[in-house]
Amino acid sequence: MILVLTTGFDEGAAARLARQPGMAGHIAGLDQYAFDEASLAGRRALVIGMHCDQRFLAGRAGLIADFLRHGGRVVASGHHAYPILPGIGGFAAAERPTLADLTIHRLVDHPVWTGVDGADLTFRRGVAGFYGRVWHDPPDGALIVNGIGPDRRPLDFIYGVDAGTVLFHGGNDLTGYGSADDSSGRILPQLLDWMMAS
Amino acid sequence: MTIAVLDGGTYYHHETIHGPRYRGRFDRVIHAPALTAGDLADVTTLIVPDRISPTVLRRHRDLLNGFPMAGRTLVVLGENDVMTWLDGVAWTPRPTNFWWWLAPGAEPPHQFPAPGHALFRHIRPADTVWHFHGVLQAPAGAEVLVSVPADPDGRDRGGALLYEDLTTRPGRLIVATLDPFYHHGSRFMPATTRFLDGFLPWLRTL
Repeated sequence: MILVLTTGFDEGAAARLARQPGMAGHIAGLDQYAFDEASLAGRRALVIGMHCDQRFLAGRAGLIADFLRHGGRVVASGHHAYPILPGIGGFAAAERPTLADLTIHRLVDHPVWTGVDGADLTFRRGVAGFYGRVWHDPPDGALIVNGIGPDRRPLDFIYGVDAGTVLFHGGNDLTGYGSADDSSGRILPQLLDWMMAS
Repeated sequence: MTIAVLDGGTYYHHETIHGPRYRGRFDRVIHAPALTAGDLADVTTLIVPDRISPTVLRRHRDLLNGFPMAGRTLVVLGENDVMTWLDGVAWTPRPTNFWWWLAPGAEPPHQFPAPGHALFRHIRPADTVWHFHGVLQAPAGAEVLVSVPADPDGRDRGGALLYEDLTTRPGRLIVATLDPFYHHGSRFMPATTRFLDGFLPWLRTL
């Protein structure tokens, strides 16, 4: 079962994920402010979206870290403004970004991004910058899957915390990439497969 | 005057509220889920930014509805399900066209029925122009500052994107569909930054 934190709107990520093929019965939505010690019992993965209250969750970062230590998977999107995940440092952005600054580069293969063309991440309807605009300072040893800008700075990365794994995307919700009519629409089903894999 | 802002705790609220550009514009920052009546005792203007959890705002509905009853100013920005917790506010959702500006020769539908309003000494009308997620039906007597005509596909009869209401309560309501805290705080749409550059100083003049 995948736990998706919700943010008070009826049509949130939890409802959208539960409608994905094969996912009925595998998604549990929980209002973010109800997140406590009992929330993660028996869960395989936790999804923290870009609209979540990080200030609140930072007060419960120990629960998230414990979940990771015991083998959980955490998928988080957005900019890491409060210390909710272990090991991630700050973020930065180009002040007046050019197209080169916003260009996304695939650095390694990974099942979540298999078949996804970097150009479909850089552009949406010809406009750059929706998928991600900033880069983060990941923990040592993180696998950086997608980089941004000429220096290919970390945009998407994956790292282990004891038996668990964090998949971090420093931009718009990864779970929103399920209906695009280009290759970026492969992300959501592949992300769900990745979370469900033991 | 004391201006307070609710903080939704997201990364974009953090950037807009705590970042260097606007940090000095707020006298008090209140984490939304922890709001208490005592926090507002000496507050004269309360800003409810865009995209605060509606669950939290509904929980505080008595406090929020009571605020402008005492002659104070309540500012509510967009995407908060405001119609579920603020009395007398009506809203019709409209599917969002994020891409209106890509069509050749596209002109935004926005209208400015009160160009002489004091707000427009602080911002240009164009600084209010970006996508919108629905329209508000302003109450009788309210001054509509930004509006759009009826939906071309017939889903609504048009309405306000920003209005000021000095008539239905002893205090002042400023209600908008606009969501600048999210987009400025995501470093994405420059119009939202220009909007806040003028809107926040204007609040200080009220």
